[in-house]
Amino acid sequence: MEIKVKILRFNPETDKRPHYQTFRVEAEPTDRVLDLLEKIKGYQDGSLAFRRSCAHGICGSDAMRINGMNRLACKTLVKDLSKGTITVEPLLGLSLIKDLIVDMDPFFEHYESVMPYLVNDEPPPLKERLQSPEERERFDDTTKCILCAACTTSCPSFWSNGRYVGPAAIVNAHRFIFDSRDRAGAERLRILSDQFGVYRCHTIFNCTLACPREIQITKAIGEIKRAIATGSLD
Amino acid sequence: MAAKFQTWWQGLRYRGGGTMVAWLLHRIGGLAMVIFVGMHVFASFLTQQFGSGFGTTLNIIYQSPYFQAPLYFFVIFHALNGFRIILLDTFPKLLEYQREVTWLQWMVFIPLYGLVVFFIIAGIVSGE
Ligand code: HEM
Ligand code: FES
Repeated sequence: MEIKVKILRFNPETDKRPHYQTFRVEAEPTDRVLDLLEKIKGYQDGSLAFRRSCAHGICGSDAMRINGMNRLACKTLVKDLSKGTITVEPLLGLSLIKDLIVDMDPFFEHYESVMPYLVNDEPPPLKERLQSPEERERFDDTTKCILCAACTTSCPSFWSNGRYVGPAAIVNAHRFIFDSRDRAGAERLRILSDQFGVYRCHTIFNCTLACPREIQITKAIGEIKRAIATGSLD
Repeated sequence: MAAKFQTWWQGLRYRGGGTMVAWLLHRIGGLAMVIFVGMHVFASFLTQQFGSGFGTTLNIIYQSPYFQAPLYFFVIFHALNGFRIILLDTFPKLLEYQREVTWLQWMVFIPLYGLVVFFIIAGIVSGE
């Protein structure tokens, strides 16, 4: 079948503002939106710019707005979208570089600001730092993040103020704060209690709905709000 | 150069679902209440201090059904939605059941607001 794909285009060398361009593409219902973009780039307009790498939903390169909502192009099937034109636009809240490519630097700066790595200066035991299955389970959900930015750029709080650390950074802080082997939880909670930390979250849920890994993001943020308010991780 | 091309309209067009609408209504309602209540206090002040006709005019607007109906909508919605958020923030475990909690919120809202609308219409019919 033939589908119309309406893409928000922007060429920084010639355009003042972004504009829509519609392409007609031959597609199967089982095609992914990424396949459509590849077909357009390969056969119709080689100047179309977008990021992709793995094409299997794990590298986090191709988050974009598809029919008005953040999703991974490589995980979105044509048959799962409402019939008619498919609209593809870049993520909101980040600067536009070209077409569907946004500047991810602010996003990764927020990620780095929460110390997303294990901190433990105690001498390691002979074999390894042990952890019970229950202790591992405590932060399992937030280990699934692929840093695609779908959550952070779906958040109205982040749109209105880019200094908010955003859901993705909080998810990755959660991953270590609730890890029994880590020792920097208090420091991370201090960072997140800042005015641009967790309290910018208004429990809107856009992030949870946007996450291609189905992480319970709002819940992770809620657990951190609670940990800061009560001073306890239980 | 990379630049942000972001407008209010783009944000509003984002398909966030029912919870994003709830947040928008909550915020609009919060601001609307500040205006409603402010107007009410201001009108009473004018009427009491100066017996001014302007205060009376404001009060007539304030008490008209066209003003009261949206006022009650926002007050009840803001209060219930606020309680939902307080509940979810206090017990993060419930955040997994936010869909159910949101349904519950509407199940309380609809009969409550229905009752208000009933009384407003009854008031109009009886010429109150
Ligand atoms: C039962 C009564 C009320 C409850 C339970 C309640 C609850 C809340 C909550 C939980 C928030 C924070 C929402 C968020 O995090 O986004 C909030 C915000 C707000 N409330 Fe209320 N509220 C009540 C009554 C009122 C009244 C009477 C007014 C005004 C006269 C008001 C004005 C506002 C405003 C302006 C905001 C900020 C809006 C925002 O941040 O989105 N509220 N309310
Ligand atoms: S291309 Fe790697 S996540 Fe989609």
